[in-house]
Amino acid sequence: MTAAVGPTCALPDTPLAAAVPGIMTCVHCGFCLQACPTYLALGDENDSPRGRILLMRSLVEGTLGIDDPDVHTHIDQCLGCRGCETACPSGVPYGHLLEATRATIALARPLPLVARLILRTFERPHLLAAMLAGARLLRATRLPRLLGRLPGRLGFAMAMLAATEGRVPHRPYTRRGTGARGATAVLRGCVMRGLYAETNRATERTLRANDYEVVDVAGQQCCGALHAHAGDLEGARRLARVNIAAFERSALSFIAVNAAGCGAMMKEYGHLLASDPLWAERAAAVSAKVRDATELLADAGPARGASLPLAITYDAPCHLLHAQRLVRPPLAVLGAIPDLEIVPLTDTDQCCGAAGIYNLLEPEVSGLVLTPKLANISATGAELVATGNPGCQMQIGAGMLRTRTGRGTVHPIDLLDASYSRAERSPT
Amino acid sequence: MAMAALPISEAASVALSPALERAASRLASIVGPRAILSRPSELVTYSADGLPFYRKRPALAVFPETREQLIAVVRALAEERVPFVPRGAGTGLSGGALAENDAVVIGLNRLRRIISIDPENRRAVVEPGAVNAGLTRAASEYGLHYAPDPSSQTACTIGGNVAENAGGPHCLKYGVTLNHVIALTVILPDGELVSLGSTEGERDGYDLLGAFVGSEGCFGVAVDVTVRLVKNPESVRTLLADYTAIVDAARAVSAIIASGVVPAAMEMMDGPTIRAVEASIYAAGYPVDADAVLLVELDGLAAGLEEDVALVERLCREAGARSVRVARDEAERARLWQGRKKAFGAMGRISPDLVVQDAVVPRTRLPDVLAEIHRIAQETGVLVCNVFHAGDGNLHPNIAYDARNPEATARVHHAMRAIMNACIAAGGTITGEHGVGLDKLDYMPLVFTDDTLDAMCRLRDVFDPERRANPGKVVPVRSCREWRMAPNTRRGELPA
Ligand SMILES: Cc1cc2nc3c(=O)[nH]c(=O)nc-3n(C[C@H](O)[C@H](O)[C@H](O)COP(=O)(O)OP(=O)(O)OC[C@H]3O[C@@H](n4cnc5c(N)ncnc54)[C@H](O)[C@@H]3O)c2cc1C
Ligand code: SF4
Ligand code: SF4
Repeated sequence: MTAAVGPTCALPDTPLAAAVPGIMTCVHCGFCLQACPTYLALGDENDSPRGRILLMRSLVEGTLGIDDPDVHTHIDQCLGCRGCETACPSGVPYGHLLEATRATIALARPLPLVARLILRTFERPHLLAAMLAGARLLRATRLPRLLGRLPGRLGFAMAMLAATEGRVPHRPYTRRGTGARGATAVLRGCVMRGLYAETNRATERTLRANDYEVVDVAGQQCCGALHAHAGDLEGARRLARVNIAAFERSALSFIAVNAAGCGAMMKEYGHLLASDPLWAERAAAVSAKVRDATELLADAGPARGASLPLAITYDAPCHLLHAQRLVRPPLAVLGAIPDLEIVPLTDTDQCCGAAGIYNLLEPEVSGLVLTPKLANISATGAELVATGNPGCQMQIGAGMLRTRTGRGTVHPIDLLDASYSRAERSPT
Repeated sequence: MAMAALPISEAASVALSPALERAASRLASIVGPRAILSRPSELVTYSADGLPFYRKRPALAVFPETREQLIAVVRALAEERVPFVPRGAGTGLSGGALAENDAVVIGLNRLRRIISIDPENRRAVVEPGAVNAGLTRAASEYGLHYAPDPSSQTACTIGGNVAENAGGPHCLKYGVTLNHVIALTVILPDGELVSLGSTEGERDGYDLLGAFVGSEGCFGVAVDVTVRLVKNPESVRTLLADYTAIVDAARAVSAIIASGVVPAAMEMMDGPTIRAVEASIYAAGYPVDADAVLLVELDGLAAGLEEDVALVERLCREAGARSVRVARDEAERARLWQGRKKAFGAMGRISPDLVVQDAVVPRTRLPDVLAEIHRIAQETGVLVCNVFHAGDGNLHPNIAYDARNPEATARVHHAMRAIMNACIAAGGTITGEHGVGLDKLDYMPLVFTDDTLDAMCRLRDVFDPERRANPGKVVPVRSCREWRMAPNTRRGELPA
């Protein structure tokens, strides 16, 4: 029997129909299996890239229905970490296939309530700002530190909030470069602005110190990554258009993003809006300017700071390593800090289980994926984990808090900033 | 879009036979309800292996997590007389891990621990689902590695390697899986636990370990495997020779072997393969305008290695190489190898479907056979990509095509058969390392006499008199099962 797809697709005019060529690129070789955290955690090929692609193929072949609860389970359980993409010799665009599958499933089954609530909140800037302000107040009481040890979802959420407390002192400094590297806007982000505001400031300062001219761009909103990953492609497009319009208003050389997930999304605005004739070109033009903040810093050197004698380890965010395929830039940022010891982390290419709002929607699997990450971190003996994505910082930070491992997480740019600030205070 | 326009799944369960019903509930009580799959929608994934050309949906799939669970699972199936099929990573390329709808897949991927590494005696004991490359990674701490390195090593399991007697590029010098397995614990289909081979040197009597290695899941399930580890070589040099005519590359292979040098590996890739690899994330810097490249690796003691390198380089040039490049450092060497090892996957970008053949021909006949394959490709109008273990004459012609086109599919079948016949006519055989499984059943009578096949059946009966372990694979017994399973025989047409 030949595994053939008939000339007609069982799901015409759906996002999945457009993804058929990508699905057909999979040769079923299995090279992605060991790269997949959910396969390693659950030991079921239905929770592997190859298995999920076969489920997708069955959907377009019509042998499985779009309302099949098993299909939903295994597609829901995918982290969207795209570790499978960097393992795949055939070039299967897994991230796009997943988004298309989720968007198609969303036609038959509404998103879970928690997901809808979160996504709608991220679309309302004022509501989101108020909620994050509330979270900051709660964080200031230091209660989340205590509550974070409670079992269950609430305990974990509290630990995530506690994990956003600053781990390195941020003291402003005046060091500035020439600005000759071009006008650069920093994406404010949602969680970054709400809970990691210091890291945003640090990003601006370090960019300035490395010859970028930092400009402020008003009118930004959520990048839409959470929406796209959940299958709400229309929601993602709405947000993308707002941001494209906002960034177009200034003459920019670069848009610097310090959250790997947001950067990955914005680099794909061109793809997201490819079939929108009014926006396709504009989206591609904005995407072309997007850089991870560490890319810009690495391109500029970056300038060296003062000694920071710490032992840390670095964990690569999936949306930096697998989606943006950036390996060197964050390491170059850390490498510019004298006396900083970077202890290599085993399996840094494996996801930590944060995956956007996955840890809230699939807490059990997320926990299974986090466990080996924490064990590997603990084996390094390092007190701090540097990782350039708020979701990963919160997830790993929460796990460290709950297992009493080390001090927590920082953004690599936090460390560079601290090193620059020291240089100004005690010039060496 | 309206929901009504989307197709809705049919009632998602099929009736199981009473024996299977009983087996299902017994297995669930052994492994727990989350380690057994019984709904058809969840079994779709287990309906294909590395050769998705075949799809067969099993009745159940079960995933023991401990040795005790595995033993209990096999015993329960024995008592219920239910057939089963072991499955490792499902990277097999002959349909070996597929099960009919009356059989149970025993997934071994959760039994993946490396039980022990004994650096002094250069040995390791692993569970069957341990991944090949993971073993080498663990052994590297001691300056050791597991030598058999199938291109699928980042995914395939040691149990699957044992069952297929897997080879790999470096098996040219170091030998295949059989040469590296010291002892095995096996659970026989009737539930008896036996030890094969010995960790204390040769055991008296027949070599039953040798019989089990390569038995393709038909003789029972490997429960643990004791393997030999090899010391990492002191020095390694990797050469890439580039040819504008593939036959020249084939002549270089013969010349190198004739010179007495034993390369650690000698691999060839033809033009279409090179171009697929260079378009992938594993681009290795192969010359995209070449008709073939030859990848030769020499290893051993540093003293004397440079002379061998110089000799091989000269022989490559004498055979007509346009250029010969020696990898400057470990990074470049790793890149050259990655390209080779991911070549099969990289071909996925050419066309949606892919079939791969696995035949061995006498090395001296390589130039003729390659020319013949080229002719067949031209005649049938299919795209053949050749990537293979040239050093031991193990060919892997891959054909990329679109299975949605029945006319193209028919031409591919024709080409595959013609290529296989050409290899057999050149004095070759039908599988080097991927096994017979389901895919090569038809070819068995072309290379073995009835008497030999009958002897194989009798050997199988020693291990599995009820023929419940991986039924219908490897040896065509002309029972109704074979008739049903292989698509060609089913239509009653024996291979031409
Ligand atoms: C891209 C690619 C490249 C490849 N390159 C090579 C290569 O260079 N050399 C090579 O030899 N092969 C190669 N293969 C084929 C394949 O990887 C090997 O045959 C491998 O040994 C299969 O291992 P597996 O764990 O995937 O086994 P599976 O495919 O799951 O099973 C293979 C067979 O082994 C049996 N089996 C599995 N585990 C056990 C066990 N514990 N006890 C008893 N029987 C068992 C199964 O029943 C089945 O018959 C390649 C495959 C791919 C997809
Ligand atoms: S590695 Fe790529 S081609 Fe191979 S099974 Fe995974 S997704 Fe498919
Ligand atoms: S995206 Fe991550 S979790 Fe999902 S299939 Fe790929 S590797 Fe697995």
